[in-house]
Amino acid sequence: MTKHTVSRRAFLMGSAALSGAGLVRAANIKTRSWPGNRNDVRCGIIGYGPQGREITATLARVPGAQVAAICDTYAPMLRRAQRDAPEATRHEDYREVLDNPDIQAIIVATPTHLHRDIVLDALQAGKNVYCEAPIASSIDDAKAIARAARNATGQIFQVGQTYRSNPQHRSVFQFMRSGAIGKPAMARGQWHAKESWRRASPNADRVRELNWRLDPAVTTGLIGEAALLQMDVAYWVLGELPTSVHGFGQIMAWDDGREVPDTIQAIFEFPSGLHMIFDATLASSFDDAYEAYYGSDSTIVFRDRGKAWMFKEVDALMLGWEVYARTDRFYKETGIALLANATQLDAQNVDPTEDDPNVETPLWYALQEFMDNHAFGPYPPAANWERGLEAAAVAITANQAIMERAHRDIDPASYTLD
Amino acid sequence: MQTVRMALNAMATRFELLLHGDDAIMLRGAGEEALAEIKRLEQQLSFYDPTSEISQVNANASKEPVRVTPGLYSLLRKAADIHDETHGAFDVTVGPLMRCWGFVRGRGTWPDEHARKEALTKTGMDKVVLDDGERTVAFTQPGMALDLGAIGKGFAIEEAGMFLRECGISSALLHGGTSTMMAIGTPPHNEDGWPIGISDPQDDSRMLTSTSIRDEALAVSAPKGKAFQKDGKAWGHVIDPRKGYPVQGAALSAVAHSSATICDAISTALLAMRRTESKQIQQKFQGMRTLCAYHDTGVTDLVSLEFDLTNPTNQ
Repeated sequence: MTKHTVSRRAFLMGSAALSGAGLVRAANIKTRSWPGNRNDVRCGIIGYGPQGREITATLARVPGAQVAAICDTYAPMLRRAQRDAPEATRHEDYREVLDNPDIQAIIVATPTHLHRDIVLDALQAGKNVYCEAPIASSIDDAKAIARAARNATGQIFQVGQTYRSNPQHRSVFQFMRSGAIGKPAMARGQWHAKESWRRASPNADRVRELNWRLDPAVTTGLIGEAALLQMDVAYWVLGELPTSVHGFGQIMAWDDGREVPDTIQAIFEFPSGLHMIFDATLASSFDDAYEAYYGSDSTIVFRDRGKAWMFKEVDALMLGWEVYARTDRFYKETGIALLANATQLDAQNVDPTEDDPNVETPLWYALQEFMDNHAFGPYPPAANWERGLEAAAVAITANQAIMERAHRDIDPASYTLD
Repeated sequence: MQTVRMALNAMATRFELLLHGDDAIMLRGAGEEALAEIKRLEQQLSFYDPTSEISQVNANASKEPVRVTPGLYSLLRKAADIHDETHGAFDVTVGPLMRCWGFVRGRGTWPDEHARKEALTKTGMDKVVLDDGERTVAFTQPGMALDLGAIGKGFAIEEAGMFLRECGISSALLHGGTSTMMAIGTPPHNEDGWPIGISDPQDDSRMLTSTSIRDEALAVSAPKGKAFQKDGKAWGHVIDPRKGYPVQGAALSAVAHSSATICDAISTALLAMRRTESKQIQQKFQGMRTLCAYHDTGVTDLVSLEFDLTNPTNQ
């Protein structure tokens, strides 16, 4: 028993170094009880599609949050809202929500191309804003949103690039930045699903509105609407923004008159010379979604919303702690599980090689960060307007390259405001 | 008339959806939204996923009341109501007993008597405090666990069916693992409804009987499948929460009703009930039809309560 404890300590020394101070609070400080009512942040959800519902369901479990109003332009969505959040008021016009002085926070989960007016109006009305990613489907709109957020000093503006708030991602980010993969060689990512992206409604006008993801005039395509969170992690952990992108796009499965490709490949070039290839498809669900970072000493793979494994080269130096870490088999490869919060788990008598029993989804952590900011801020969130603008610029330019089957430089000016 | 078939692996089973209508693209779009809702509910209700809402409840509700989403709360409230209606024969707190009988990840084994009694003290919906005002769940005993396995599939199917109707679907059949199903309208060229065969629990290759459903749900339960033998008797994976032993009531039950959630739960409860008790249950739910097969006399005894057997093929 003593021996086991000692070796576990040795493991923890290693893992403590890779879990940054910023994520320490996640597992053990959060309280499950409802903290009272008067101080709750009253939130208005604008847009009650699948993402709006997910946010509403998650907020119901985030301490200090209260869904007070829900807005959607379509009656059946408001009927769902009534069932999901009976206490919330329901609105067809978002301005009614903005006019309510009791609402402190606005969460924008509408189709991407509709974000701009709502975010600008919400900030103008003095609200704190959480905006889904990508923040916009054009560079102009993205810059307008970023500028408004920058100018709204004293207000919170957080983008739904949720992995930036996820303890598991932050932990592995530290680990990667410490040089764990050796000399980086290349990166690869995929997002695979088998679905048409078509949405149905008995109402013809509604069908057009619902299918905005397949409208070439406003969509950011698979790279923006499906792969964005993964790409955001890529240039975060790589520590550099892509300078150009070469895109390919095909319609392979759903030849139903659409113009937006259902299968894409994009190759991103980074200043260091590293290239990343990303493919996404609606034709096959094989192997789901993941990103892999290949280096001279090891490869690190992220999957399942923040789980990560390291695959070591046989000639790589021993790190010491890995002999105590949990390993998982992937056919002939052995992955060393990279777990956040190992130190905290030990303090709670949970074996740090097991998955954290208190782990929450990335969206939960992102919304928790948003709520904490109301209590202790305002401070710039991990996914602030700068991160939102960068992600939008990458997605929009990559989608243009994909639609044109062409090479495009990413204008460095698109990443920043004047 | 066009037909679209779709499938989804979720809740440890395979869901299949059959849609009829004028526009295959529209049908598929509606089907995808419905199946996505099932996937979302799986994530929320999974006993095994540590990030699921139900896992968070199980991990914390014995320490303090846990606030849950309105959707989960209404499902738990419904489970509590059905528990009362069935005098405890349906109980979502059966988790500790399932574990003690080795059915959580295995095929079952005879437990130590002390362990069985211990598990029984951690079982009972009456030991769960639901607060309607605060929308919280609390356990009065440590070691309790909610397992929605006997109601979650029906709930998911019912919710998915609502999505299909909102999308304008007027002819569809959705089933999970062929044991819980829901019909919208009728199939083309069959005004009676969707024909459903019920296989013989003694011999899967034989049809016990058949029926048809339209604009309603049907659930079929049988304790066989995951089972072990002891003293010449089969002990299946459905535990009677009142006694703490595998059920010894009906060998098969089928329940038709407008709510797939209620069908799913009641079909499980009937397995733990004797004939007279079953009859009382059927009368409590308006429009419910039930069918139970008993083997306790050595021959199959079919007891039908309003359950029309359209085409008995018990040859």
